[in-house]
Amino acid sequence: MKTQLSGPPSPSETFEPYETMRPIPLGVLMIAVALALWGVVLLFDNSEAVAIGQAERADVLADQPARSDADGASLFSARCATCHQPNGSGVSGAVPPLAGSPFLAGRAEVPIAILLRGIDGPIRVRDTVYDGHMPSFASVLSDEEIARLVSYLRERFADRPAPVAAEMVTALRGELAGGSGWKGGQELAARLAPELAPQPSFALASRAEADPATMRLVNEGTNGSWACASCHGALGQGSETVPRLAGLPAGYIARQLESYLNGSRRNESMAVVARSLTRQERVALGDYYALLRAPSNARPSLGGDIARGERLVLEGVWDRGIPPCVSCHGPSAFGVAPGFPGLAAQHPAYTASQLAAWVSGERDNAQQKLMNGIARSLDDADRRAVADYLATLPPVPVAATKERADDRR
Amino acid sequence: MSLTIGLLLALSFVVSLLALAFLIWAINNNQLRIEQRHAYTIFTEGEAGQVDDPTAEREDDHHFDIERAGIDRVSRLPVLILVASGIGWLVLGSLFGLVASLKLHWPDWLDAQAALTFGRVRTLHLNMVIYGWASMTGIAVALWVTPRIFHTPLRLPRLPLIGAALWNMALLAGAIAIANGWTDGEEWLEIPWQVDIGLATAGVFFVVPIIVTAARREVHHIYVTGWYYLAGLCWFPVLFVIANIPYIHSGVQEATVNWWFAHNVLGLWLTPLGVGTAYYFIPKIIGKPIYSYSLSLLGFWGLALFYSQVGIHHLIGGPVPTWVVTLSIVHSMMMFIPVLAVAVNQHVLVARNLWALRESIPLRFVALGALLYTLASFQGSIEALRTVNSVTHFTHYTVGHAHLGAYGFLTLVLFGAVYYLVPRSTGRQWPWPAAMAAHFWLVVVGFLVYFAALTIGGVLQGLAMLDATRPFAESVRVTMPYLQARSVGGSLMALGHLLFAVHFVVAVLQRPAPHPGATVLSKPAVAA
Repeated sequence: MKTQLSGPPSPSETFEPYETMRPIPLGVLMIAVALALWGVVLLFDNSEAVAIGQAERADVLADQPARSDADGASLFSARCATCHQPNGSGVSGAVPPLAGSPFLAGRAEVPIAILLRGIDGPIRVRDTVYDGHMPSFASVLSDEEIARLVSYLRERFADRPAPVAAEMVTALRGELAGGSGWKGGQELAARLAPELAPQPSFALASRAEADPATMRLVNEGTNGSWACASCHGALGQGSETVPRLAGLPAGYIARQLESYLNGSRRNESMAVVARSLTRQERVALGDYYALLRAPSNARPSLGGDIARGERLVLEGVWDRGIPPCVSCHGPSAFGVAPGFPGLAAQHPAYTASQLAAWVSGERDNAQQKLMNGIARSLDDADRRAVADYLATLPPVPVAATKERADDRR
Repeated sequence: MSLTIGLLLALSFVVSLLALAFLIWAINNNQLRIEQRHAYTIFTEGEAGQVDDPTAEREDDHHFDIERAGIDRVSRLPVLILVASGIGWLVLGSLFGLVASLKLHWPDWLDAQAALTFGRVRTLHLNMVIYGWASMTGIAVALWVTPRIFHTPLRLPRLPLIGAALWNMALLAGAIAIANGWTDGEEWLEIPWQVDIGLATAGVFFVVPIIVTAARREVHHIYVTGWYYLAGLCWFPVLFVIANIPYIHSGVQEATVNWWFAHNVLGLWLTPLGVGTAYYFIPKIIGKPIYSYSLSLLGFWGLALFYSQVGIHHLIGGPVPTWVVTLSIVHSMMMFIPVLAVAVNQHVLVARNLWALRESIPLRFVALGALLYTLASFQGSIEALRTVNSVTHFTHYTVGHAHLGAYGFLTLVLFGAVYYLVPRSTGRQWPWPAAMAAHFWLVVVGFLVYFAALTIGGVLQGLAMLDATRPFAESVRVTMPYLQARSVGGSLMALGHLLFAVHFVVAVLQRPAPHPGATVLSKPAVAA
């Protein structure tokens, strides 16, 4: 009988499976040895990688920026000289001088307190009132760095050679934690240095509060859409891929909301929000966030090369058609109203995602398509380097934007 | 200190390596040959009535008349009930799988009820095919084969009946729980642990009879299939119970235990069932011995030594200590050794007897399944490498790979085993031989389409996700034609399963043969 089981050699139904006694083929043995060696090498290699990774993580945990061993002079030229000028003379009518400033000559706590919190109102330096704005460096410089910087400044510009101890900065940082910029010289003098009085009062720079309708949009949402603050945070500080809005130019924010409407900037969530807003509301929200102040909560998080990012931001790479970011986005990448947003203290995941979005066309709302070509010249490592470096910068001093925004009107 | 943990883990790799080296040394120095001689002795004694043929070669020692010993008769009822349950779950599971596949390109289809949403339907598919089809049918085959290789009837043959009833009830309860949104929230462990108690209890009713049968065996030597079955039946209950104990792991630990378990279900449960089954049926159907006993040893112990650490490669890039992940990658690559050993052993035999593939549809299923085991294992090892994983992780490629192992390998092997054992259990031929061929080509072509589509689509999806300048939605859009192709392939597979199920029902319900003792399949020469 023919069944599906029978073949030409007709295997017997009673046959029992068994194995013959052949040795292991040499090829199998060689592959086994090769794999074992590979495994040992990989594990050994991994132990080194783990050690390096742990060292790097320790650095991050200690929150030390990349150049924590920089001396006071290099900190000065990197962080202060752009505005206060390399010789400390300041800019007449705009930036107060450091050279001969009583703020440096007095107690060391005063310049430390200014660096930690920034200044948002008018101060009087040697009979001249400056109504400028200085960013907070609390998120940017470590206690040791601030101590080295202040020691350098006091020795060079105020002839006070006694070095400042990092412990003093640590103590003061704890004492002043969470505060926003000093509200003019008056608050600073009252708190730390009565001898600097009289100082102009903050009332000179007082500004209108946002109207209740705008505050409802921000905190509760309306027209079937959710609140801005539900993603961007109560202070507009953002996180991860949700951008920091605090201190961005008012015109820029309003224009982004329009872009979500006309599709030149694509984001499902923001498109819903933008559709729920009237033109007046868009403008009002821009004005509100432009004046909002929030400490920086951005930290390098993409593993980018900070030094490379710094080079790209400050110098660009002209061979590859990449201009320095600061040439349009303003000194210290604080932004230039109304068109160029501040980039400083922006969340790196957001910055990098936007640089990628210019390439993909998800975002195509730049004036004269400026960003499209630049973004195409950046590769993935560049994007991460730039984004991580920008996250190390101090946040935009708020009212600087306001003045320019006011000029616009 | 992670250095200490790292050292401990590396040590576990070194210990495994030393054990492997010792095993190879022992094999090459004939330390293990003694046992084989024992086997010959026992065979000769057992077959005393058959070796009086003067022209008989040594190979004739390896004969045993299973029918005369009445072994299949004892295991018939539990085996058929388990196979029937397995096939029932296969049909149900395939339908849920097909619905899940269709939902990926018809997202609004069947979205009115929570129980029919993708998350639940996919989960039902997984649990039904793994714990229903693969586990129950695998246990059925083990219950059928184990007494045969041990030359003794199945002991305690009523226990598996209780086990089957309990297992079916627990699985049904688990499925209802999942459909209603009550799960443990971990992949492969979705069935609520309260219900898992039922499954674990049912398992005892399967394991005990097989172990008792092994203890009362009439042969001294245990054939390689027996090692795999006994090991799998000891490993899986341990894995299942440990992974399901509630409230001891949380967070990252929970994820680690989850994947340790989920991958071990494949490697230490489904693989032993499938490989053991292939080791029995390939030589049995061809009628010639396996290539090398030494390789059998290497393959089995290689699996035992290296597999248990493999699962954590599912967490590459996750917040798990790098050491654990790297060790898992190394162990994944070490799986090349046992897989190669099994491959040489089984494929050499098939390759030298290709004629048999034309003759026997069961062999076609089993041999193709064994080949796909080799491919799935090699693919899995390579997928564990970080460079490959960074592309394929979180893509449909992984789904394709999972089906290459669970379907291409295990399910095809089990199809072959069922086609072989049902006629011998019932004493009745399959009524429609053409349906078997149709089943074979439906599932093979269907699976080919399925696997090719997911593999290509998965790689494209992975590359799209890695490119930051392409929006995420594009990585979804790019998979569209491949997901549709997957549904086409899946439909063919499901169709094949339906045909198989109908054929099985007809085969079991048809009129009994005149005398079941001498089945229609026996060679006249032997039966005489």
